[in-house]
Amino acid sequence: MPLTVNGQPTPIPDPPTLERLLAVLRPPLPCAVARNEEFVPASVYAKCELTDSDRIEIVYPSAGG
Amino acid sequence: MLDSLTLYGRAFSSRILLGTARYESPTQLLASIRAADPAMLTVALRKQVQGGTQAGQSFWNILRAANRALLPNTAGCNTVKEAVNTALMAREVFETDFIKLEVIGDDVNLQPDPFGLVDAATELVRQRFRVLPYCTDDLVLCKRLLDAGCEVLMPWAAPIGTGQGPRNPRALRELRERLPDVPLIVDAGLGLPSHACQVMEWGFDAVLINTAVSRAVDPVRMARAFADAVHAGRSGYLAGPMPVQELAVASTPEMGRPFWNEAPRFTAQESA
Repeated sequence: MPLTVNGQPTPIPDPPTLERLLAVLRPPLPCAVARNEEFVPASVYAKCELTDSDRIEIVYPSAGG
Repeated sequence: MLDSLTLYGRAFSSRILLGTARYESPTQLLASIRAADPAMLTVALRKQVQGGTQAGQSFWNILRAANRALLPNTAGCNTVKEAVNTALMAREVFETDFIKLEVIGDDVNLQPDPFGLVDAATELVRQRFRVLPYCTDDLVLCKRLLDAGCEVLMPWAAPIGTGQGPRNPRALRELRERLPDVPLIVDAGLGLPSHACQVMEWGFDAVLINTAVSRAVDPVRMARAFADAVHAGRSGYLAGPMPVQELAVASTPEMGRPFWNEAPRFTAQESA
């Protein structure tokens, strides 16, 4: 099973790090990331190794009340 | 006289916090921000860039152009874990320690979960957030949130987005009386400028509004109306309202009125 990004199956990048995944996906806005429902600080993206069971969520600024 | 709102040591000249959701266009949002002149803008995090990349970029540009303090929320979170992780993500994206903490306990009326709220607040204070919890008007809950380290509370007037105005005025006023030194912001359920004016007259420190403005027929005009109402209510509170009397008290002096020495106009005999 490939990893999922916001629910969508997504190939694991090479090298398999969160930093590389974001470089491939190129988020259009400032974003933050959770892996398996745990926040991942930007400072550790390069060290965060991904596996095929990971569920990645990327969130963006949005209107809110 | 400078009458600023102080939240976690940060002073604001406005006593309105404005939500950024449900406007018809970015232009309307920006005009409403200018009309309301809010201290803070509430924002959220979502997995989709709302309206596509261009609209998302436009929204982000408005946030920067508005030059207001941002108050990210944890809207939609039902558990402590969700709320804490959302707050951590919000801190990174919006670069602020301020967080409007929502932990929802009922999906129908979006009522805060008091137990989850206290647990999440405890953890977020531990992680050095400045927590503004969206809570009910329950005094004991509010005291527990203060015990957890919250320095500001945001009790509801009525469920989110209902526009009903204060459902339980007595409870809100008692909360104000019992917690005289805590900044209290009425959040959720206000629908009319008069609702905002009323709670400000009661001594609340600020109001948080969103739907009342964004779903008005003319949001920009309504934003201005809320700003006027909040000013009026705050001034009324500071001026010290007169005590309510049981019986009529003539405001015009009796002494020296014409025909002062005449017999009373209405006597038992006449009315018989």
